[in-house]
Amino acid sequence: MTNMTSDHPATVWVRKLVLPVLLIAVWQFWASSLPAGSPAPAPLKVLQTLVDLLRTGSLLSATVQSLGRVVLGFAMASVLGIALGLMMGASQAVRENLDPIIESFRPIAPMAILPIAILWLGTGTPTALAIVAYASFFPVLINTVHGVSRVDRKLVLAARTMGISRWTILTRVVLPGALPSILLGTRLAMGVAWTAIIAAELAVGAKSGGGGSGGIGQMMFVFYAYNIDLNAIVVCMAVVGVVALLIDQLFRLVEKRLIPWKA
Amino acid sequence: MNMSDNASYPKLRLSGVTKSFLAPRTGLSTLAVAEMSLDIQTGEFICIVGPSGCGKSTVLNMIAGLDVPTAGHIQKDGQAVTGPGADRGVMFQDYALMPWQTVEGNVGFGLRHGTPGQHLNTMQRNQRMAHFIDLVGLRGSEHKYPHQLSGGMRQRVALARLLANGPDILLLDEPLGALDAQTRLILQAELLRIWGETAPVTERKTAIFITHDIEEAVLLADRVVVMSTNPGRVREVVTIDLPRPRAGKARTHPRFGVLVEHIWSLIRDEAYRAIGGDESLANPTQETTA
Repeated sequence: MTNMTSDHPATVWVRKLVLPVLLIAVWQFWASSLPAGSPAPAPLKVLQTLVDLLRTGSLLSATVQSLGRVVLGFAMASVLGIALGLMMGASQAVRENLDPIIESFRPIAPMAILPIAILWLGTGTPTALAIVAYASFFPVLINTVHGVSRVDRKLVLAARTMGISRWTILTRVVLPGALPSILLGTRLAMGVAWTAIIAAELAVGAKSGGGGSGGIGQMMFVFYAYNIDLNAIVVCMAVVGVVALLIDQLFRLVEKRLIPWKA
Repeated sequence: MNMSDNASYPKLRLSGVTKSFLAPRTGLSTLAVAEMSLDIQTGEFICIVGPSGCGKSTVLNMIAGLDVPTAGHIQKDGQAVTGPGADRGVMFQDYALMPWQTVEGNVGFGLRHGTPGQHLNTMQRNQRMAHFIDLVGLRGSEHKYPHQLSGGMRQRVALARLLANGPDILLLDEPLGALDAQTRLILQAELLRIWGETAPVTERKTAIFITHDIEEAVLLADRVVVMSTNPGRVREVVTIDLPRPRAGKARTHPRFGVLVEHIWSLIRDEAYRAIGGDESLANPTQETTA
């Protein structure tokens, strides 16, 4: 509704910030009323912990490690999902062959394959990649199939009357026609990939007793299980949220650049 | 038979062309086009008119090679039509422009990705693209996307794309149907100019144009194929003997009204039935004299 009105952007920002600032103020007020030495997290302590963790470089390296896994796993899933989605969208036979398998795996949450992944791939990066790739594969695939099925059939017919080969029609008509839907799929996939990596690293951390895999989820596990530091856990949570937000914004930007005709 | 001797063949020959469709659920077959036979000569402008559901578009799609006749055959220059090809360009009712391509990208689409541009280098393609963008009056809009264009401009893009591919038969499926009346008048005149109305017959393209609009058909065509519905068949082929060039002045010719009236009389009853109207409305004078 707000974007329908022509309010000044600054006004909009102020409105968006009022509630969070208020909540943090209430939180700080509540935390200051607790006896000294309480382990409860407080905004100022969280800020102090953030500065400390940034100074040691451990927060940054954990975040980069998690992000690296997400990007790699996501890329593998996207290549596979888009290629398979195009084939399924273009050929009824392929679609009918693969549909039952895909629909049976789709409801199985990424975390549910973690036990098998750990047993087969260990507690390191391969497992993290497998979880991320599995989680992001389905949104990409399903949105690609959907996008292909929604490509205006007239465009394909028009291309055929111009003496354009089937393969070129797939790459030059079907792919760009499905692109808006594919990009939506990748954005959703990136979202679930980032959620999945944190959960996977947390769980792998538990399995490997705090050693092993690394990443921001692992870091959270260490702060939870070993040096019980609630402020540090809140820092990690905040970083996860901010990174997710930045990724989403980045994808929206890419979408705008790649599909200018939807402007 | 000497296949290279094209002069002995009509540009396009439809013999006994029949198309029936199977309804997906009931499995019943409907006859869309029945036993259509027609010879079309090089440089002729043919209009097909008829009530909705008479199979006009089906005929066009079969000539384009996008649909296969159930029976009968279609020959172009004496050779059987077996599939789509750039020698028969189609202009679709809703233009079928690629929304992700600019005007230039759409006009040059066949040149860049299809057979029409195979023998051309990039410079020749660009020249050809620019030439046809100019011809339809779209210079200055080369980098716009279809959604930034008016209906009339989109129609011009589709026309430029069609011509840029250099087909020797133009198949036009109600190309002006979605336009407002004024744009339509302008584009009818332009279409005649581009088709080659003022050029000698040998330099004209062969055009098959589907329309709902009888006046449009009479204005444009050398012959009007009047189709009837259920099943779609040729009711009559009316030769339009109005002098050319017609753009801008044919409508005032005394024969114009006579021809329009004659064609209307051929499809009137079915047109009324199609909209569910009382058939007696179709010919009130007949009722009083009967």
